[in-house]
Parts: sequence; C-alpha cells; structure tokens
Amino acid sequence: MAKYITFRFLSLLPLLFAVSVVSFSLAVIGEKVNGSIAVQKCAEDTSPTCVATIEKNLGIDKPLRHRFVSWFSDALQGDLGISNQTNGPVSELLLEGFWPTFSIVGLSLVLGVSLGIAVGIFSGTKPGGARDTVTSVLSTSFLATPSYVIGIFLSFLIATKLGWVNPTRYTPTEDGYFEWFKSIILPAASLALPTMAIIQRQLRSSMASALQSRYVLAARARGVSRNALVAKHALPNAMIPTLTVIGIRVAASIGITLVVERVFGLNGLGVILSDAVTNNDIPVIQGAMLLVATLVLLVNLLIDIAYGFLNPKVRLENG
Amino acid sequence: MQSFIRKPLAVASSIWIFLLLVAFVRPSILATHATTFSDTTFAFDKPSSQHFFGRGQVGEDLYSFAVYGGQNAVRSILIAVGIGALVGVPLGLISAWAGGRIDRATMWLVDLLFSIPVIMLAIAIVAILGSGITSAMVGIGFAMITRFARITRAAALAEKEELYIDAAKITGLSSFTTMRRYIFPNLIPTLVVQVAILSSIVILIGTGLSAIGVGAERDDADWGAMILRASENSLSEGYWLFFPACLPLLLTIVSLNLLGDALRDSYVPSGSVTSLTSTRRTAKTTTADLDVIDRAALFSVASLSVEFPTAKKQSPKKVLHDITFSVKKGEVLGVVGESGSGKSITMLASAGLLPAPGQITQGSTYFDGRDLTTATEKQWQKIRGNDIGYIFQEPIASLNPALTVGNQLIEPLLVHTDLTKKEARAKAEELLAEVRIPDPASRMKQYPHEFSGGMAQRVGIAMALACEPKLLIADEPTTALDVTVQGQILDLLSDIQTRRDMAIIFVTHDLGVIAEIADQVIVMYAGQVVEQASAENIFSSPTHPYTQALLATMPQNHSGDVDKPLTVIEGTVPSQTSIDAGCQFAPRCTYVQEQCTVTLPTLTLVGGSTVACLRAEELQSEVVNLTVSSTEKVTQ
Ligand code: SF4
Repeated sequence: MAKYITFRFLSLLPLLFAVSVVSFSLAVIGEKVNGSIAVQKCAEDTSPTCVATIEKNLGIDKPLRHRFVSWFSDALQGDLGISNQTNGPVSELLLEGFWPTFSIVGLSLVLGVSLGIAVGIFSGTKPGGARDTVTSVLSTSFLATPSYVIGIFLSFLIATKLGWVNPTRYTPTEDGYFEWFKSIILPAASLALPTMAIIQRQLRSSMASALQSRYVLAARARGVSRNALVAKHALPNAMIPTLTVIGIRVAASIGITLVVERVFGLNGLGVILSDAVTNNDIPVIQGAMLLVATLVLLVNLLIDIAYGFLNPKVRLENG
Repeated sequence: MQSFIRKPLAVASSIWIFLLLVAFVRPSILATHATTFSDTTFAFDKPSSQHFFGRGQVGEDLYSFAVYGGQNAVRSILIAVGIGALVGVPLGLISAWAGGRIDRATMWLVDLLFSIPVIMLAIAIVAILGSGITSAMVGIGFAMITRFARITRAAALAEKEELYIDAAKITGLSSFTTMRRYIFPNLIPTLVVQVAILSSIVILIGTGLSAIGVGAERDDADWGAMILRASENSLSEGYWLFFPACLPLLLTIVSLNLLGDALRDSYVPSGSVTSLTSTRRTAKTTTADLDVIDRAALFSVASLSVEFPTAKKQSPKKVLHDITFSVKKGEVLGVVGESGSGKSITMLASAGLLPAPGQITQGSTYFDGRDLTTATEKQWQKIRGNDIGYIFQEPIASLNPALTVGNQLIEPLLVHTDLTKKEARAKAEELLAEVRIPDPASRMKQYPHEFSGGMAQRVGIAMALACEPKLLIADEPTTALDVTVQGQILDLLSDIQTRRDMAIIFVTHDLGVIAEIADQVIVMYAGQVVEQASAENIFSSPTHPYTQALLATMPQNHSGDVDKPLTVIEGTVPSQTSIDAGCQFAPRCTYVQEQCTVTLPTLTLVGGSTVACLRAEELQSEVVNLTVSSTEKVTQ
C-alpha cells in the first residue's frame, strides 16, 4: 500500500506542473486577446514610455520562457503576482476568500457523502421497495435542484422567515466554532443536498448490481447472513464506482460554491472571482485556477488511495 | 409502483422539453409581451392576469422574459453538450480499448482538465474571450469533454471486464468487432442517460454563471440574469421575484433527469431491478409431493416447478416442470443435459438460492429428514455452507474481488462453527492443502485475481468442504477450466468423496464426466427430467431418444474413426417451453410419431429406468443392440 500511495503521490507532481502551465498560459492568451495590462493601463497616458515602463516594472517585457520560470518559482513560494484591480498581492486576496469557500465545501462534503452513503445502502439493499421509492423521489428532486436555488429557498425560509441563522459574513473559527458553523451551515446544506442525492443514486444502483453478482450468490451458498452480504461483500465493490462519483462531486462542489456564496452574500472566492472577471483581473483568475486545481488534485489523490484500498487489483498492479 | 409513478412523469417531461424547444425556435408563440416592453411606473407589480409572473425592475413582463430565457437554455445545451459529446465519447472509447500508453496519456490529460471545476474553467474562458453567454458555453463545453470521456471510458472498461468473464463470447473476434458488437451497444444506454444528465448540469452551471454576473448580460432575457436581478431586489420586494426564473429552470432540470431515467428504464429489462431473494408462491407441501418424496434419501426434491415473470402481460415463462429427484447418503447423482435444459436453475432452486425474479410455484425439498419446503432465508443460512456445500461454474467470478481468498475461505467456518478467527485460519490452510494448493499460508493472503481458474476452483471446493457437508452440489465445476485441469479437479472430487463418504450432486453437460463419477443419473431436457436411471443403465441401455442422442455425441463413441466429425444433436433446446403441446423433444427426435406432438409423456418405469417417452418400451429393446458396442468402451 505504501508503494501504491507513493506512486500516486509522485504521479501528482507532473499534473501540478501541467496545471501551472495551463494557468500561466491563461495570462498569455489573455494578453494576446485583450492587450497586456500595461497597454490597458496606459489607455489615457499618451507618453511613449508609459507602456514600456510598466511592462518593465512587471517583468512582462521578457521572453515567455523567462517569464514562466520566474512566475513558476514565485508561485512555488506562494507569490502569485499583483492584482490589477487592488494592486495588492493576489495570494493575500485569494487567501481571504479561500477559508470561507473551503469551509463551505468541506462541511458540505462531510454531510453529503456520509448521508449519501447511508441512504444509498438503505435504498440499495431492497430496490423496488417502498423505502426505495420514497428515497428515489426525494433524491431526484434534490438532484434536480441547483444548489443556488436550494440556497435561495433556505435563505428565504430559515434566514428571513424563521430567522434562525442569518449568515451575511463568514465568521472565522477564531471567533468560536459555533459561530463559524452558523455562518456556513446554510450554504453548506445547499451544496450537501444534491451531493447526497448524487451519491445515493450511484450507490443504490451499484449496490443492487453487486448484490446480484456471482460472488454474492456464492457467499449466500456459504450461509453468509444478509447483513454481512451487504456490508462485507457488496459494499466494498459498490463503493468503487461511487468513489469516482464522489471525486467528480468534489470538483463540482468547489465550482458551485462560487455561485452559492453569492446567494448568501458570503465573501468567498466566488465574489473575488466575479469581481475579477468584471475588471479583467487576469492575475487573480490565474491564481485562483492554480489554487482550485491543486486542491482538486489533492482530493483526487485521497480518492485514489481509497480506491486502492477497495480494489486490490489496482493496488497490486500499480504498487 | 415506481414505473407507475414514472410513466406519467416521463410524458410530462417530454411535454415540457417540447415547450422549451418551441420557446427556442419561436418564442413569440408562447410569450405575451416583447422583451423590450417596459414601464417603470409598474415596476415590481405582483402577478396578474396580464402579467402571469408579475413585473420586474423596469416594469418588464417576467413571464415573457422567462419564455425568451428558454432560448439561452437550449442554445447552451446545444453548444456545450455538443462539444462535450462529440469530442469526449470517442476519446473515452479509444482510451478504454487501446489501453496501455494511449489510455494513460489520454486519461492524464483528462484528469488534468478534470481538476479544474467547470465553473472555474468557464470563468477563465469568459475572462479571456470577454463576457457573454457564448463564451461561457464554450468554456462549459470544453469542460464537458472530460465528463464524457471519463464516463465513456469507465463504462467501456466495465463492459470489457464483463466480456473478460465471458471470455468464450469474444474469442476469435478482433478487438474492433468486439468493441462495435459488444461494447458500444451496451454503452448507449449509459450515454443517453449521460446526455440528459449532463444537459441538466450545463443548464445549471450556465444559469449559475449568469446569476453571478459572468455569462449573460445583466438585463438579458436569461434565467440566470433574472436570478441576479431578483437577488438584488428580493430583500425589499420579496422572494417571489425568484419564481419566474427558478420555475422554468427547475422544470427543465427535473424533466431532463426524468427523461434520462425513463430512457434508461426502457433499455433495461423490467425484471432486472429485483431483490436479493426470490419468492415462493405455494408454501405448503402437497399430498402429491408426499407420495413421490423419498424419505430414505439424504436430499430429495419433489415436483419442483419454477417460473420467471416475463415482460408486460404475457404469461410467465415456465422454466422447470415437476422436477423430482433424490440422492442417498454417500451417493453421486449426475445431472446431465445441454445448456438451457434447466440444470443450474434446478440446483439453485433446490438449495433456496433461486435468483429473483424467479418463482417456485410448487415443489418440496427434504434434507436429512427435515422438510425445507417452507424454510426461511435464515433457516437456509444455517444449512448452506454447513450441511450443503455448493460449487459454482465460474470459479473466479464466484470469489469476491475485493476480499482476500483467506477472508472468504474462513467465512463458512466463522458462520457455522465456534472456531476463533485464528483457528479458522489454521483449518482453512489445512483445507487448501487438502485440495492440493501449494503454499496455503501465502495463498490465503492473495486476492482472487491472482488465482488461475483451476486454482480458484480448488478454493471453491475447499470452501464448500469447510464444514464437512453431508451433500455437495457441484454445478458444472469443471466446464470453465481447460481439459487437463478438468481431469485434476475431477480426480480431486472423487477422491474427497470416497474419503468423506459425502453425497454429491454433479451437474454437467458432459456424459464422459458422468461415466467417471456418477452412481445415479438424471437426464434433463427443457426443464424436465426425461430419464432417470443408474449410471450403468444409462450407458448400457439408454432409453429416452434424447439420452441416446447425448450418448451418440460422446467423443468416445467415435474412437477409431478420427476423421468422422462428432455427431451433434440437430436443433437446440427450446427457450420458451410450452408444455401443453406434447413431448418437448419431438422437434428434434428421430423416433417422433404423430401422438408425440399431442400427448405429454410422463415419467414411467421401463425396465431399470424411469423414462418420459411415449415409445420408451419399444425403444428400449431396440437400443440395447444399437449401443452395446460403445458402452463397453465407456465402462472399461
Ligand atoms: S415421446 Fe415421441 S418425440 Fe418424445 S422422445 Fe419419445 S418418441 Fe421422441
């Protein structure tokens, strides 16, 4: 297993490098399409040295190769350049938005995945039964409702009508875990409900087919009890496709949070990014892309490791 | 119940999607006002008979805005799903089939793009190409490529794995043909469902982007832009402002998902989603059963009949008719017949393992003096693996790929005995040694995929023998193995049988195997027992024309005449049996007479055999002369 994990971890490095290349080329393509930031800033300044001076200051007059090397080595040290809009470091801006976004996604995944697995087992062991029908109607509705619409509904019902919690700003954990929880529970719940539905549906169908497999029949012929058939024999195999779905959902959650945050007016990455688009602030978008992609890759690494635990074939052949 | 709820919903979904298409092609048919219509004096008017959904910030008609918003919704599906499917599906297929380096390179790229969430990618592309719904859609479409590629690849790999198990199916076919004939058609349901689901995701994301001001312009007729405007005013004007955009958005996403489900259901045969255990219709042992039941036997089954429900309102398919057989202590019963004759179903049903949706419609089971006819799953659990061992045809598929062999091997011991885990492991190692697996201790720690078919079947035997059963049911245990291994497994089984004095029911299509191992034989055809006799009688005086035909196909009966092709029985076992039309074997029988297609033959004692043939008596005397020479070879 250790060998497998090392192997997966090492294979992450070229991916991270490639993501950096993609992020870096974003700025370059942006320059080609919209003109460099210097050209934009000097729109009103007609002095001939304006563009050249700014380009020199920003170091964007050098050849691409050199620019990439210096951008990459800066990025490795956490320096993602300067925002066009605030003129402050991109990394500080992103870090400010990172914690709210990260907290919401994290909490929503914990809730959504655990509930989804529980309900999936519950409905998958008896497909076609009454409880299966009820859960599948419920999950179809959650699945079909965008998180931001659930968010609108929750903010109407719980925040405005009932007034239980009314998040308007993200409260960091330093101000108390309960306050932190209260500030993110509604957006997290908005994301978690579809997550739960997606995982439940996948697990239900892979559970049903695992229960019809030869090896479950053979285990029944050995006198294995029903609960053990489900928990020991069917679940590990049914979890393999489910893990893939969880991985997909992690990336999707990070993306959708950007929208959900706006519904609750939370100051996360979503707000920073939509401002950046409006102001054509490429360095911020570039940095955010690198940050988000790195995060997703790390989560996928964890999922791959879990995959290896469940699927000995994968683990042994790649280890 | 589910299909009842789903059908009207599927119709409703289709109607909604149709309306959406009308809104796309000609919105003016559905809209009541133009999008340019405005009057600020009536801003935020509540819904009325002229303005179904009320009026917005500049007094615009929100209903008409919702209709025109459908245009963007359909356009986004066309662009984004189009780009995604056209590039992603071929990519996934190639990757899955080519495997190796191509697969790794493609998946590496896909993983790379996959790590950037769709919304993030779309935001980046909008930042470069400039705001606008089209650049947002191109961005989403780009991201969809990875979704389609991944799903196609995963589904194709799963199919490939299935085919690998049914290796016989694909031998001799080029990989391209296999992909086209076996894999791609099986992927279509998955892909159709994915198009529906990903379409709904595209709408969800596209609307979301516009709702945060990335995508459609703020004042556009676009559901996302309408949500954005609503969120600016909802606190002062009320949450109803969200309704005009959220309603069509939700209906569209729900419809796409429901349509996906309905399409998937139409591909999957209705009986496939079923529970673990089958049901039994008649619960009681009938008096008729009591007459045929053999109480002296260790295991006896009387008048067993099984049906499988068929699609729609056709009458259920009867797969077993009145099967009666018994096996005595220490005896080997051979069950022989071509594939499709119902041998395996008979054994599964006899051991309470009949897969759903099969139904036992009549019949009773006695084992070791106990009536198991109405035994519950719990009662069966105590018997199976303990008093009755079961060996399956596909040894590798019968082992759980996620668990070590040792873990599965100790299972019957832990379930049925008081042994601790450690003791069970020690015992399991002994068992592996008994089935002649070298180095048992390290083999225990391995996974099924590290075993060859023959080795896996030895494990299967060890598992079945773990609790020293009185009866072993072996369902074609050697069929999936190659010839030399077959011989070894057979030797092993008869060896153990003699040593443990255990009864065996040996199911096979191979009379050669029967000759080697069986004491008693039943011959099955089309879900019926057509002949029952001692092994000696079967080979010396086969009576039923089907038994004779089976004997004639045995390779031994051709020895000395190598160039002559093996005799085959003309025709095939009827798949849908209809018992009311006389003898089932009639279409293939060389002795068929007119009465055969009218009168149903029943099992009657003729000489030393019980035979279900109208002409049994005349045939028995003739056949003795016909086959006596070949029988000598067999019994030597
Ligand atoms: S009953 Fe007639 S058709 Fe059937 S096996 Fe006997 S001879 Fe052949």
